[in-house]
Amino acid sequence: MNNKVTKLALVLLLICAVTAGILGVVNALTFEQIAYNKMMKQISAFSAVLPSESGYTEVPFDGRAFPTVDSINQSNDGNGYVVTSTFSGAQGNITMACGVDNELKCTGISIIEHKETSGLGAVAASTSNKGVAFREQFIGQGADIALTKAGGTIDALAGATITSTAVTNATATSIAAVAALG
Amino acid sequence: MFAKIVEISLGAILINNFIFSQFLGCCPFLGCSNKVDTATGMGLAVVFVMGLASAICWVIYTYILVPLNLAFLNTLAFILVIAALVQFVEMFLKKSVPSLYSALGIYLPLITTNCAVLGVVLLNVQNKYNFIESVVYGITGGIGFMLAIVLFASVRERTEFSDYPECFNGFAICLVSAALVALAFMGFSGMKIM
Amino acid sequence: MNRKQQFREGLITNNPVLVQQIGMCATMAITTTLFNGIGMGLSVLIILTCCNVVVAALRKIIPEEIRLAIFVVVIAGFVTIVDLLLQAFIPALSESLGVFIPLIVVNCIIIGRAEAFCQKNTVKDSFFDGIFQGLGYTCVLIIMCVFRELVGSGRFGGGLIDITNGFRFTLDGTGGGIQIFPADYGMGIMNLPFGGFLTLGLLIGLMQYALKKGEKKKKLEERAAKEAAAMKEVEE
Repeated sequence: MNNKVTKLALVLLLICAVTAGILGVVNALTFEQIAYNKMMKQISAFSAVLPSESGYTEVPFDGRAFPTVDSINQSNDGNGYVVTSTFSGAQGNITMACGVDNELKCTGISIIEHKETSGLGAVAASTSNKGVAFREQFIGQGADIALTKAGGTIDALAGATITSTAVTNATATSIAAVAALG
Repeated sequence: MFAKIVEISLGAILINNFIFSQFLGCCPFLGCSNKVDTATGMGLAVVFVMGLASAICWVIYTYILVPLNLAFLNTLAFILVIAALVQFVEMFLKKSVPSLYSALGIYLPLITTNCAVLGVVLLNVQNKYNFIESVVYGITGGIGFMLAIVLFASVRERTEFSDYPECFNGFAICLVSAALVALAFMGFSGMKIM
Repeated sequence: MNRKQQFREGLITNNPVLVQQIGMCATMAITTTLFNGIGMGLSVLIILTCCNVVVAALRKIIPEEIRLAIFVVVIAGFVTIVDLLLQAFIPALSESLGVFIPLIVVNCIIIGRAEAFCQKNTVKDSFFDGIFQGLGYTCVLIIMCVFRELVGSGRFGGGLIDITNGFRFTLDGTGGGIQIFPADYGMGIMNLPFGGFLTLGLLIGLMQYALKKGEKKKKLEERAAKEAAAMKEVEE
């Protein structure tokens, strides 16, 4: 009986070890590429909202006053800040980069991650004409940004009021967070 | 902190309900919803295992996998932990709490392949939750699952008396009625407390 | 074993989703664009085939008592490999499928085939079983994607096909697809969970109808043949 249990344990252990070994090799082969993909994604999102020749430096901010803000990155060119924030949309969390210039005007937004409904809320992040047009509305907006419904100038996406509201509010929060840096 | 926990709970139970908006755990959801009592038993077992699995997997991920640079092994480690956990819980209940065992026992083995359980531990890692948030997400996610399965079991008991095309027998009519319940849950989307 | 019969089983008579009715979570969750559907289908096909081959090759040395644990380890291994490769080389797909790639581990199709088929069959048979069952799964995903995308947003091939600068396939998931009618006229609700449940329910209903009809036809033919034989006997 004891012998049998030992044998079973050995077989299981052996298979686990072989699997883990193979995974280790695959991980070593793909690790650099995955890290590179992640970095490129962030860089392309940052430079889409606020181009900077010399990169960005993260600056400290009051995390308690702005719980949705993940990081504030000052452009080394001195032309403004990029704020990344995570907030809830219609289906799950949305992660967004928002550029803010020194006059506290939005220079553009770029959605990094989202789980919004394909064809409705997801348009906010898409490269289609509608998506680009939606995001272009944000350029030049100040802290008083709001949807047309609420007396502002941002037209909500058709069928995606929740997503549009969330993105608009997050932009306002980003601008406020930069303003609070002083 | 408190607000964040309320937000997570509300999200897991209603807004992003595991079944009706994330499609996690559909197999047991359709398989075990014939009767309200079976559904309640399955739901309770899932709440229990999801809470426990969230806690244990968080500890393993944070204190073993990450320091050893083995984060890529998380899927493998989590599924083994869940399988072992379910087995231990079954043995423990059988010995020390026989009354609970007789109520939940037959559902426990089914839980190993319930994608809601593996899903919740993977989502904990993805959302970078801390220990308390992970456990809360696990338990409330389980409660959301239970709410869905119990509600749906009562809907399904009604379909037995209704007249539908013969070829829709079995899962087909279940899925169509589940679609209608999902429609009701859509009303929660975008709800906010902050 | 007959390949043609295996092919028929995988795609129609024993289709994993429509007939065996397993592996439904991902089927409903990710079928919103053709890009997701094909990506998920092919990932499952590859993982299923690899697992089938390994399980069949090891079937003589796997001890009966711990076979499920070993299946799970093998499956989790292949799933992680595919997950890492997707993250490295097709990041767009890995992002849009999200948690559903690692969740292939608990997809009943794979563990079900290991338990029901590969334990008793040769490596070669298991290999073809993996391919045909995987194809059956992929086909269902494609049908659901095409239907939901067309009705929901009036598009075909979102993420996979781009026609703004001539026809081309986009592997980074950025293609806008072919707009068949304006998206504003689409039933947006088909893209939501409601649409997933409804489409799969209708599809299973349709399949049951077709299978039943096929059976009836077969029975009628058999009866006709029997009657003809009986008539012949009487005549003789």
